[in-house]
Amino acid sequence: MTVSFELSDDLVGYGREIRDWSVEAVRPYARYADVHHAAPDHWRQIVETCPVAIGTHDRRQVKRQPAFAEGKWVRDLVVTESLTYGDHWISNVIGAGIGHLVVKLMGTPEQIDKWYRPIVDNGGQTAFGLTEPQFGSDTSMVETTATRDGDTWVLNGTKMYCTYGGQADYVVVFASTDKAAGPAAIRAFVVPKGTSGFHVAKFNEDKLGIRSWTTSELLFEDCAIPVENQLGWTGGDGDGPGPAPRTRSGRSGALGALAQNKPNISATGIAMAQASLDIATDLLQEQRQSFAPHRWSLVESDLENMNAALGRARLVNFRAQWLQDLQRANKTEASVAKAYGPPTCERVIRRCMQLLGPDGASTDLLLEKWYRDVKILDIFEGSGQVQRIIVGRAVFGGADRVA
Amino acid sequence: MFELDLSEEQIAVRDLSRDFATRVLAGAARDAETNRRVPDEVWRQVFETGLTAPASEDHGGGGIPDTLTHLVALEGLATGDPGIAIAAMWSGGSALLVGLCGTAAQQYAYLPRLASDRQGRGGVALYEGFGRAPSEYQTRIEHLGSGTWQVAGTKVAVPFAAEADPLVLVGTDPTTGELRAALIPPDAGGVAIGPRPEHGHLGLDAVPLHTVTFDLTIGPGQLLGGPGAAAGLLVGAVGRLRLSVAAAAIGCAARSVEYAAAYANERIAFGKPLAAFQGVSFLLADAAIQIEACRLDLWRAGVRVDAGPIGGLERAVSHAVNYAGSVAASVTRDAVQVLGGHGFMRDHPVERWYRAAAALSTIDFDPTYAAFAPAL
Repeated sequence: MTVSFELSDDLVGYGREIRDWSVEAVRPYARYADVHHAAPDHWRQIVETCPVAIGTHDRRQVKRQPAFAEGKWVRDLVVTESLTYGDHWISNVIGAGIGHLVVKLMGTPEQIDKWYRPIVDNGGQTAFGLTEPQFGSDTSMVETTATRDGDTWVLNGTKMYCTYGGQADYVVVFASTDKAAGPAAIRAFVVPKGTSGFHVAKFNEDKLGIRSWTTSELLFEDCAIPVENQLGWTGGDGDGPGPAPRTRSGRSGALGALAQNKPNISATGIAMAQASLDIATDLLQEQRQSFAPHRWSLVESDLENMNAALGRARLVNFRAQWLQDLQRANKTEASVAKAYGPPTCERVIRRCMQLLGPDGASTDLLLEKWYRDVKILDIFEGSGQVQRIIVGRAVFGGADRVA
Repeated sequence: MFELDLSEEQIAVRDLSRDFATRVLAGAARDAETNRRVPDEVWRQVFETGLTAPASEDHGGGGIPDTLTHLVALEGLATGDPGIAIAAMWSGGSALLVGLCGTAAQQYAYLPRLASDRQGRGGVALYEGFGRAPSEYQTRIEHLGSGTWQVAGTKVAVPFAAEADPLVLVGTDPTTGELRAALIPPDAGGVAIGPRPEHGHLGLDAVPLHTVTFDLTIGPGQLLGGPGAAAGLLVGAVGRLRLSVAAAAIGCAARSVEYAAAYANERIAFGKPLAAFQGVSFLLADAAIQIEACRLDLWRAGVRVDAGPIGGLERAVSHAVNYAGSVAASVTRDAVQVLGGHGFMRDHPVERWYRAAAALSTIDFDPTYAAFAPAL
């Protein structure tokens, strides 16, 4: 096979159809979602107008998304950028979250049937509870505890910044079964919504951006769940307190789930930046006569260079998810993708506002909103600095000297 | 004489303004933003600094500082809140321009009132967008004959447009090609003030900003400095106003670095404070390096403003303003980055600085001073 960067016409057309719909149906509520920290009340009706099957987080998907020659993960990149091009509030009402991805990575076949398959087949939303008040990147610092009590695990602790945490069908909570045993004793537990002792301490944070996304603080107070809710549980004694018996520890499962989603994070940023760039380009074209000719030529080269930069960000995303589709190792490539796109997307949006002048940062346009929204993308699910540590390990031959 | 230290007086101004910023402005920042106006009590205290209406003692003020001192004061205030600092400075633009460029009659007509009205607002209609420097402004202030002057043009980011008394409009005299300014009273006809954005502004909500279109005739008494005004004075004063935006940006950036550094010293990850990781500490070290260069560039441009009309002043001002805008936007971004998820929450002020610095960077932007560069 020769190298080719050409997506199939089918996938390109599919993406365009979603993108056009997103502009028409989703974008008109972008400001509303920002101001009210929530999707519009009639979001279900909005989703139903989508020409392709995207499902919702709480409703069975009528038909599955079509398969494309490029594979699922590459398709999802196209879908993610297209859907969020209008505005990303749509993600919060259709997104499945990433908790179930941990189930898939760490669960037994029975657990996968119980908690992963229904989400994929029927729709549903899952959350991921790892970050705590005193740590983010250093996942060895988990303070939440899981104590074995007969046929249950009893969880105690606080989780922060859990996307969908306050509304998900279940949260995958990372907790230590034995603090003396260190990070190896961190296991993952499925905690269904409504479990006694599971409190939503704060449904949504007051944030710089992505305000309509549910970012919850969760409190676990003597929250008892059945032993079989521990991912990887096989019923043996090896599932008692202490280091995880399976080769895959809780932390590596958590980080594995994050790795799969990294390029999608970047794709969301590309959507925001491309939308800003397209809006700015149209407005600037209308104002062309107001620019001095020498300045206009620089405006044009800026616009071209910004488009080129976003194009490169797409390439590294595609590379990472193409490997994922082939089930080849892509840990480094996924980190490259997440480190590369988001900070440049920030710059593109900022530059577009600058080119438009003071009105570019006014709330009459959405660029200022996207400039606030985009900042989280280089922070959550592994900050740019953490991605550099991962890429650095590959550069330096796997030696783990950095952290 | 080569001298790179601030004077004792300037150092005192810097320290006082920083102290005031910490004591008064930092705590008022959220309120000013939420209510989209500086609280009256805070404005009264800012008034006491003289920044909202700089005027000479003859006119009842506390004196007009030299440009560098003015910039040092503004940088200090912006460490508390760039929004309130820039609101105060922009309001003071009326008194500043009248004091530096007005006729004696104009000074006596306006300054005693401006210097004593604790809740009064001024404002200058200066910027036009499209990367235009003052020498390219297309707003015309044109003599029609028999003592009548036509004022026509559109200005963006006009502060206090609806209440400034007077609003000072800066434009070009097409006869001479030089800058001119007009004093516009708040009730003047022919002034169309655009709506204030419904949901606020990215980061400058302490001050109302409007797009304003002017199409009116005025008499010679409303020409700043009269019909025979020396354009050179106005060029310098406009340079000072433009540099003030850079000073506010730098103050905001410098404070962001302090805040993020304090956080990085406290927050533990992987067994060490974040500051012990070069991936984190170098972000802030780079920030400090850029701020140092940026501030010196600003100071030099400020000193040149006071040296009188000299060649290259406008470009020197544009360089300083554009570099400061770019540095402050990038530094405040990195400060949020250092705080991680916490930086994204409104519980910490870095998100506000991120917004304010980006907004300031749009005010007087000209793409000719640096091309777009991707992060990597």
